[in-house]
Amino acid sequence: MSEPMLAVRHTTGADGPYWRALAAGRVELPRCAGCGRWHWPAVFRCGECGSWDQQWHAVEPEGTVFSWTRTWHAFDGSEKIGLPFVSLVVELPQCGGRRLLGLLEGEAGGLRIGAAVRARVAETEIWGERIPALRWTLSGASS
Amino acid sequence: MTRFNARVAVAGVGLRQYKRAQAPLPERGVLVRAIVDACEDAGFDPAEVDGFVAYGDDKNEPVRLMSDLGTKELCWSSQVWGGGGGGIAGAFGHAAAAISSGQASAVIVFRTLVQSNSGRLSGAVMAHHLNDHLLGAGLISPAQPCALRAQRLFEHHQVPRSVTEELVRASYYHGARNPNAVSYGKELDLDAYRTARWIAEPFRLFDCSRENDGAGALLLVSAERARDLRKKPVHLVGVAQGAGKGWGDLLENDDDYASAGFASVARRLWAQTGLTPDDIDCAQLYENFSAQGIASLIDHGFCNYENVAEFVRFENLIAPGGTLPVNTAGGNFAEGFIHGIGMAVEAVRQLRGESANPVPGARTCLLAGGPGAPTVSSAIFSNEVIN
Ligand SMILES: [Zn+2]
Repeated sequence: MSEPMLAVRHTTGADGPYWRALAAGRVELPRCAGCGRWHWPAVFRCGECGSWDQQWHAVEPEGTVFSWTRTWHAFDGSEKIGLPFVSLVVELPQCGGRRLLGLLEGEAGGLRIGAAVRARVAETEIWGERIPALRWTLSGASS
Repeated sequence: MTRFNARVAVAGVGLRQYKRAQAPLPERGVLVRAIVDACEDAGFDPAEVDGFVAYGDDKNEPVRLMSDLGTKELCWSSQVWGGGGGGIAGAFGHAAAAISSGQASAVIVFRTLVQSNSGRLSGAVMAHHLNDHLLGAGLISPAQPCALRAQRLFEHHQVPRSVTEELVRASYYHGARNPNAVSYGKELDLDAYRTARWIAEPFRLFDCSRENDGAGALLLVSAERARDLRKKPVHLVGVAQGAGKGWGDLLENDDDYASAGFASVARRLWAQTGLTPDDIDCAQLYENFSAQGIASLIDHGFCNYENVAEFVRFENLIAPGGTLPVNTAGGNFAEGFIHGIGMAVEAVRQLRGESANPVPGARTCLLAGGPGAPTVSSAIFSNEVIN
């Protein structure tokens, strides 16, 4: 990865390892050691089997578009993204269908629910703060 | 499933609404006005109010209202969790719990919003739910997560986009005929609706509710006590709040993603009351965004993905003759938007025969709270004792 190390921001949830991995340019998601379920959002305890053992695994940030919206209104705080921009919900079949978020970059011509996408780690600036985030590209599109 | 067994009624309503940033008093002053209005409507001494319930992160802690109201004793103050309008109907459940368990005897349900005091509602709602996962994807306003769900509703579930126009038209039709509505005298210009600027696809400007300043208050007492007050009691016949498994604050990982989140709440509401959608004479349907209003109707069982376009037709949604007149004061879109409290007030006025758009013989009214919120709620009111 050519990305520099990114700042790890505060988190109040069980997702600290996600942010630490993202800051290092990787995507990691948690899987229950007790029952094998992928949990996202992250949990401290698996509500299905009761295990407290949640293991973080590196995952390929690849999936399919679950839904999308193209924002045209200049919402306060989002000025640095540039209008319009497309936000994606992406389903990861390799992680039990859990979904991750992010902005779309590059060609948007083939944008539709079900389209294949792949992400890199980047930053999104909101209210002057730089947040590690995923940038998705439609498969077959150039970024 | 236990039947709803609280015997409580709305005895008075008050609503003060102003254009954004034009309230004549700071927020607490506007709220006190609305509460006193509700008490006067009922012929009830404001000093006797002993309980208060709000929702949506209202900033006005009830204990601070005591000096203005002359409150003799504060016995109950609570708020439904959640930053959006999802808790509005649930607030009546709090009031019913307080009264029927004897912890309070006269409870005000309220919501206040004066921009110079509480800031923009959309910002406050989102601040409650925002985190770096959402921000990193540019999701900063409630319109965007709702747009994501709407896109799934249209593109994946193939709900025709035209249904949102039917709903928005119905709200504006009623608002145009309500002298207290912001859109009084103004019909929705369909061409303007269809060509308005994009906010977040698939939403254009008129698919989004726009905020007003103001406050609304409803006085609840026991059904028995309500009989002795000035106005005809409007009974709370059922109320449910919450979220089913797989729904909530889940970083857009909700199971029934394109829904409005009411599946479990609606199931409990119908079971609690013994009623079905066919028994509902009119509905105050919280529409933060057009598609979420549609999803709410689907969740409550009025229609489904297949027949939604047959049910959600303008003629079907307007008073006096529609099968299910909705938002008979104009709703959040056209009456005004004080985080939905006006819809609860309209439910009561409609069942008293005081609505600007009366539904002849209406006996029941559904209040469906803010759709798509992590915690949602719905209630049914009636001018008769049903259970
Ligand atoms: Zn487990």
